[in-house]
Amino acid sequence: MGGHTLMAYSNAQADKIYWHYTPNIKYSLGIDYQEDKITEQSFASARFTYLLHRKNTATSQRNLYLKSGVGLNDSDNHFYGLAGDWETRRLFVGFSAQQQSGQGYDLFEQTFKLGVAPYLGDYGDLHTWLMIETKKNDFDDRRTTYPVLRLFKGGALVEIGYHKKTDWDVHLMYRF
Amino acid sequence: MKTTLILGATLIFLASTSQAQHHHNMHDMHSHEGHMHEQMVDGKALEVDVERFDNFVSDIPGDKIAVVSVQGMVCDFCARGIEKSFGKNNQISKIDVDLASGKVLLGFQSDAEIDQAYIEKQILNNGLNTTAIQVLGD
Repeated sequence: MGGHTLMAYSNAQADKIYWHYTPNIKYSLGIDYQEDKITEQSFASARFTYLLHRKNTATSQRNLYLKSGVGLNDSDNHFYGLAGDWETRRLFVGFSAQQQSGQGYDLFEQTFKLGVAPYLGDYGDLHTWLMIETKKNDFDDRRTTYPVLRLFKGGALVEIGYHKKTDWDVHLMYRF
Repeated sequence: MKTTLILGATLIFLASTSQAQHHHNMHDMHSHEGHMHEQMVDGKALEVDVERFDNFVSDIPGDKIAVVSVQGMVCDFCARGIEKSFGKNNQISKIDVDLASGKVLLGFQSDAEIDQAYIEKQILNNGLNTTAIQVLGD
């Protein structure tokens, strides 16, 4: 297949830029650069994502991924985790569980996301998803739940979430 | 006078019947000629969105058409990957990805050999599965 993906994330914990190359559907290799807002450290990591499982049906796709990354200058900075999703053209369910270590703290975070497409667009149309994301990590015993708007057109995806405590959660992605 | 009326009515009836028959024949021609979607492939009717299919073939007359049924094609990323993969083949004249029906329509130049294994491999390389391929014009 051979595709490139460029991503940018920004939330209460960090700002990240991430590029990866997918030689085939089973795995991708990439590099990210992040500025940690808690420790105010910046570092780059090499990342590896592996598709553990995929199930296609006429109307759905289900995936399970292993995700990992290690700091280029300091291997103490690393993370590993699982992420999965099940998706139809109308519904989306996704989760992730990730352990992050290094840069002065350890963090385990779980997320769960539910989404519905209010209308079904054709290929090339603007696709809209209304989602709810819930997140729990070691920084806060309480679960944070907030609405997310996902807009998706061609190779571009924009995802914006907001919670009064954690502020904006923004994810941009472009595939080429 | 009465005979003239009966004769006239008979002529009008026959003429209108003939016109109706002619119209019916024209209707049949419209329905069956130039509408590839009504063709049978291996004894099965084409499983396509008729309007979309007719629109697809309208500007590639004479080309061979492959109708590919795909599993897992739920978003534009899948569709883009498929379009990109088949777009590299210069024997393919036109590509249409229909997310709603899970079909990919491929137009092949009239002299092209359609290799079903090649089609399945391109779909698989995009992480999707082929469940059926119907070829017209081969």
